[in-house]
Amino acid sequence: MNLELIPLLIIALLMISAGGADVETTEFVIEGDHEMTEHRGALIVGDATVTVPANEAVSGPVYVIGGEFRVQGTVEGDVTQLSGSLVVEDGGIIGGELQHIGGSEVLSDEAVITERTTVTLESNEPGPIAAYAPFVLTTLMLALAGAGLSRKRNALLDNIGAATREHPLISLTVGALLSVTFLSIFVFMAFTLILLPVSILGLLTGLLIIAYGIIALGYLAGQQLNTSRVGLATGLGVVAIMVLLQVIGVIPILGDLIGGGLLLMGLGAVVLTYFGLQEFEPVSLPE
Amino acid sequence: MKLFEFVRKRQWVPITGYLIYVSVLTAGYYYNLTFVQLGLTDLGTQEIGMPPGDVSIVMAILALLTLVAAVTSGVLMDRRGWSTDLYVKFRLLFLVVLVQLFLTVAAPHVSAIDQFVLWVIVCSVALGVGIPVSFSFMLDFVPVRDRGYVAAIVAGLSFFMAALYPIKWQIDEFSLVMSAMMVPAILVLAVLSVKRFRFVDRLASQHERDAFGTGRFCRPIPVRTVSFAFWGPVLLMFGVFFIDSLGFLRIIETPLYIYTSWQSPDPSVRLFIAVLHVVGALAAGIIYTNFDRNWLFLWVFGLFAFTHLLYVFHVQFGAGDTPPLVLPMFYVLAVSFYTTLNFALWPDLSTPETIGMHSALGVGIAGWLATFSSTSLALYSEAIGLSLANHLMYVNALALLFVVALPVLVYVHRMAELARGGTTP
Repeated sequence: MNLELIPLLIIALLMISAGGADVETTEFVIEGDHEMTEHRGALIVGDATVTVPANEAVSGPVYVIGGEFRVQGTVEGDVTQLSGSLVVEDGGIIGGELQHIGGSEVLSDEAVITERTTVTLESNEPGPIAAYAPFVLTTLMLALAGAGLSRKRNALLDNIGAATREHPLISLTVGALLSVTFLSIFVFMAFTLILLPVSILGLLTGLLIIAYGIIALGYLAGQQLNTSRVGLATGLGVVAIMVLLQVIGVIPILGDLIGGGLLLMGLGAVVLTYFGLQEFEPVSLPE
Repeated sequence: MKLFEFVRKRQWVPITGYLIYVSVLTAGYYYNLTFVQLGLTDLGTQEIGMPPGDVSIVMAILALLTLVAAVTSGVLMDRRGWSTDLYVKFRLLFLVVLVQLFLTVAAPHVSAIDQFVLWVIVCSVALGVGIPVSFSFMLDFVPVRDRGYVAAIVAGLSFFMAALYPIKWQIDEFSLVMSAMMVPAILVLAVLSVKRFRFVDRLASQHERDAFGTGRFCRPIPVRTVSFAFWGPVLLMFGVFFIDSLGFLRIIETPLYIYTSWQSPDPSVRLFIAVLHVVGALAAGIIYTNFDRNWLFLWVFGLFAFTHLLYVFHVQFGAGDTPPLVLPMFYVLAVSFYTTLNFALWPDLSTPETIGMHSALGVGIAGWLATFSSTSLALYSEAIGLSLANHLMYVNALALLFVVALPVLVYVHRMAELARGGTTP
């Protein structure tokens, strides 16, 4: 599954939960081509092409978070489009409200749409300042946090940095295993709806650990500056790491692998050292 | 890794030891994984036409006989000093592979129940002798420091081949391919059995070196056979193998799940599974080498519990759609993890004097007995018409039980140690 779908999936599940739909009848179509003829209950369209054929009806609500949703027949309930593509062809009917939040849509003049609303979250083509503002803000926040942490609790970053530097393979392995397992568990939890808050909390905690890992990597990078102003060095190191992650992403596949590897290594080192509270020592084996 | 040190110093003899170990164990495990475990079911049900219930009884007989043969040969090896004599072990392995070649060639011609039972009896004796012989090679060839990584390579390669090699999982296809693979191995082993070589002499004495002979968990005090330190891991490994086979056989026989399993007709799915096996095994090797073994056990049970939960969820709410690859992904990770653990654990719980007995008990009980008894149970549950969802629910319950039992066992054990006045962790 495309990882970028996860936040949208969580939002869709929150909406389903708020709307009071039954989780047992909710279907999430992740991949492939599907024709829906008589589905009763909520439907989430992921990285798939889902078609409601002519003369067929599904109850809805339908949430489009990726892929393509084609309506040739009838959707009795609401359709909410968060991303992906929505096509309502000649004779297609949406009996409820069509809410467009993101993605592309093609609506035939001959289609029947009872009610239509559009929620605009951002302009379609943001300027360069708007496009880079989230990155700059995140970098600034992490750099400030790193500078503060390195001045007041230097030992924490020392331990995490040491684990990353001296045991990169172990940190990477632990980080990769934890992220794959817990990401799946949290997505799975989200489907139960009851555990949706735990799922969101878990994902946020994961993001915080990754951020902590970036700060530790920045601390390591800052040490190369050989300055006594450790706060400034860490701040600059964090900026360097963030820029590196941004720039390296331009290289296809390899860039993502290196960037992902760095983040996972940081995450693994944070966990291995109990968030920096303890130095990591592997078990000792005879030489 | 110690291997890199050997390469740097150009010490080719120990490097040859690594190669021999990986070749023998990979081929042996691949054979057992495909030919015995899955080919045998095919032979009984498809070729001879036995009902699944009867095949399950024969599988149980195979498991018990293999265990008896393994323990007998393991005890003999330790008592007569064969565990520390590499040439004797090569001779024993030569006999085992020779018998297995005859069995492999004969398998497609087995057409009656009494022939099938005879085939199973001979097969179990060969397997039983092969277990302590092959597992004890680790003490001769692989230093303690590298055992996790080498075990990972063996596990990864075996599963990689089993998942990717495009033969049908049926006895006649197996027979041909396996026979062709065995002949060169038999020739090499025949030569090593009758002629002494200087490099083999050097390999034969490696177990006397501190870096090789005594297992990781036998330092400073060797693990006794009658002790919690030995039977605790046996129980846990039994649980792991049992849970795996119990769920696996029903999953791969359900048409919907074949498309995202080891038997998928789609090569890209099989490639995905094969590569993931290697990645999972390497991750397990790293964890085994750098952490306490209980973390690996806990991770394996946790992965199995989560995997079966995913399958149960998909059976109930999947609406008959092809399952996403995340389901086999977790299964593959769990299997690679515990297989790596299985290869490294028993030698590390042994000394050169106890390796025969410990590996026979460990692999015999935890591996064979658990696998075949759970395979029998899976066939039985199929025969009585238990639904896949209910079957997997039981498997999941077992996995969850072990997830909880492991920390409790470790904690209680520590308490018992403290009560006896022990202080070291």
